Amino acid sequence: MTEKQQNRCFQEFIKGIIRENPTFVLALGLCPTLAVSTSVSNAIGMGAASTFVLIGSNLIVSLIKKQIPEEIRIPCYIVIIATFVTVVELIMKAYSPALNRALGIYVPLIVVNCIVLGRAEAFASKRTFVHSFMDALGMGIGFTLALMIISIIREFFGFGKIINYPVSYNFHPALVIGMPAGALLVIGLLLGFFNLIKQKK
Amino acid sequence: MPNRLKVAVSPHIHKPVSVSKIMWSVSLSLIPAGIAGAFIFGFPALWITVISLITAVTTEAVIQKLTNKKISIKDGSAFLTGLLLAYNLPPSVPFWIPVVGSFFSIAIGKMIFGGLGQNIFNPALAGRAFLMASWPSYMTSFTGPLKFDAVTSATPLALLKEGKPLGDVSYMDMFLGLRGGCIGEVCIIALLIGAAYLLFRRYINWQIPFTFILTVGLFTWICGPRGFLTGDGIFHVLSGGLILGAFFMATDYVTSPLTINGQIIFAFGCGLLTAIIRLWGGYPEGVSYAILIMNAATPIIDRFTKTRVYGIVRY
Amino acid sequence: MDLGQFLSIFISSVFIYNVILSRFLGLCSFIAVSKETKPALSMGLAVLFVISMSSIITWLIYTYLLIPFNITYLRTISFILVIAAFVQLLEILIRKFTPGLYKVFGIYLPLITCNCAVFGVAVLNSDMFFVNNKAVPGSFIYSLFQGICVSIGYTLAMLLMSGIRERLELCNIPKSVREFPLAFVIASLMGLAFMGFNGFKF
Repeated sequence: MTEKQQNRCFQEFIKGIIRENPTFVLALGLCPTLAVSTSVSNAIGMGAASTFVLIGSNLIVSLIKKQIPEEIRIPCYIVIIATFVTVVELIMKAYSPALNRALGIYVPLIVVNCIVLGRAEAFASKRTFVHSFMDALGMGIGFTLALMIISIIREFFGFGKIINYPVSYNFHPALVIGMPAGALLVIGLLLGFFNLIKQKK
Repeated sequence: MPNRLKVAVSPHIHKPVSVSKIMWSVSLSLIPAGIAGAFIFGFPALWITVISLITAVTTEAVIQKLTNKKISIKDGSAFLTGLLLAYNLPPSVPFWIPVVGSFFSIAIGKMIFGGLGQNIFNPALAGRAFLMASWPSYMTSFTGPLKFDAVTSATPLALLKEGKPLGDVSYMDMFLGLRGGCIGEVCIIALLIGAAYLLFRRYINWQIPFTFILTVGLFTWICGPRGFLTGDGIFHVLSGGLILGAFFMATDYVTSPLTINGQIIFAFGCGLLTAIIRLWGGYPEGVSYAILIMNAATPIIDRFTKTRVYGIVRY
Repeated sequence: MDLGQFLSIFISSVFIYNVILSRFLGLCSFIAVSKETKPALSMGLAVLFVISMSSIITWLIYTYLLIPFNITYLRTISFILVIAAFVQLLEILIRKFTPGLYKVFGIYLPLITCNCAVFGVAVLNSDMFFVNNKAVPGSFIYSLFQGICVSIGYTLAMLLMSGIRERLELCNIPKSVREFPLAFVIASLMGLAFMGFNGFKF
């Protein structure tokens, strides 16, 4: 691999984290982002599960892209994604039932997460095996980081905890931030904040 | 050079009424209820009101300063929001509750939409809903009137919800405000004096408050606890924040419909939702939620009650 | 099967656990299509139809295929495939036979194929109305009713939001929160308002 190629690979990886962050820039896959960001541990679990599905589906799609007929490509992608989601579901049920309960219906819902299908359609169906892998890894990590940012904010203000450790007994957390309405508020303000930074530049 | 010509369709009638005049008049008309609240609950009520007012006005000024807009705190709208928020708080809340509430009301309830006249939800009620969801224990513990020497006492509606006896609170007590409740909502007579002033000056119309109160009264009377037509409509009208909400918050120009028909639909919806939440909901009081939900429906109501423009074919 | 159960399903899926404001399903379409009232209503109609039909279909598949053969772990894959196929088929049929209806809501059908709400309701139904792989009594009716109520909640949120956003067109909103961010804040405030229905009892 020449240096140029390595550089290219690195670019595909790094873009998902900031420049094309799936949550804050592309605004994709918001349902799980909002629903499971009540605690950092949930966020990491969800991020890891989604990253696994992303990498798996991106790899398979880029491998068999020549064999998939153009007309029915979307159903094919969905089947591939659903397979990996089922794998994640079964693994999670077997090894960490507590996390599975906490994430609830949002584990099977990874199958309709727009990020996964979006990357398969927009990237993996056109690019090489290695690039697809780097792209999926970058997107997955970008998604996980975004989830973690939101969940750190929500866990602190909503439950008065930092990664499960209570801050102080004199701190009265605003319970609403841990509720759905608070999730919408936090994401709205965060998106506004990032827009503000972009405009300043 | 700015365009100094104002082009408008005739007829041109000038009325010496401005936004700031209305805002200050409404604030003025709310003063009796505040004084009554301070007499009934003592010093903390006054203290909370002042904190809330200062925070509301400061927040508006700071945000306008930061966004390089003209500072318009003199128009009284931030003052009114702070006042209404304070009136919707129990007198026993810690001092930071009105601070957070006023900040939320002004920043998220109003300024994020672009300021006065553009907000969708009543800012004070948005602030109250935020506080209610965040710190329910503070927002639902009430101190009783000073007269009873009670440390804490539930509101009549909360007692009703829990199925406890109401004690010796008569209609007259409720009318004068001798009951547990939020600072500005308890003294009905003081609220009515303010409302009469606003009605007399035609700053608010009678359709919204009348429809709202009538709907609550009738509905709670019809769906009584022991069957059809056994409810205590008068009790429901006098309790909770209904009078405050109906005269001073549902009538907000910005967040209520434009046409009379729309306003009646709006007020009926408010009344119905209030009664439903009071009778079957988890919270004892539903006025603020009812108004907020109908605020969200206001643009749709406006859309379907638009007056027909003469000569335009309806399709 | 009693009236109370139906009422509590209705209140909880329309208001308390509103599919958009509380469960965050179908959020993408909510933000994207709620700019104007008419498309928002049509989208709501399309979702209502698709969700009720898919509730029926997925119930049938779950009861007569997945449970008897003990392959419930294939739930995700089978549900998503069936829903996708059904929506595609529906689009073709509507375009062929009722062009008028197609104009009203057919164009939104492709958007629904991957709408989390449709799939979410199917999963939710199979979680709620099947205990230990056995259908609770009346589960079919409950599933269908829940599907309908969820779509009513969806349409309600869409309708309110579209009205609000039409009005906001005329407002002088700060530049950094225009469009998406403000839509989320409004949704949050609507969620706060709907919290008034928490703890409903009959």
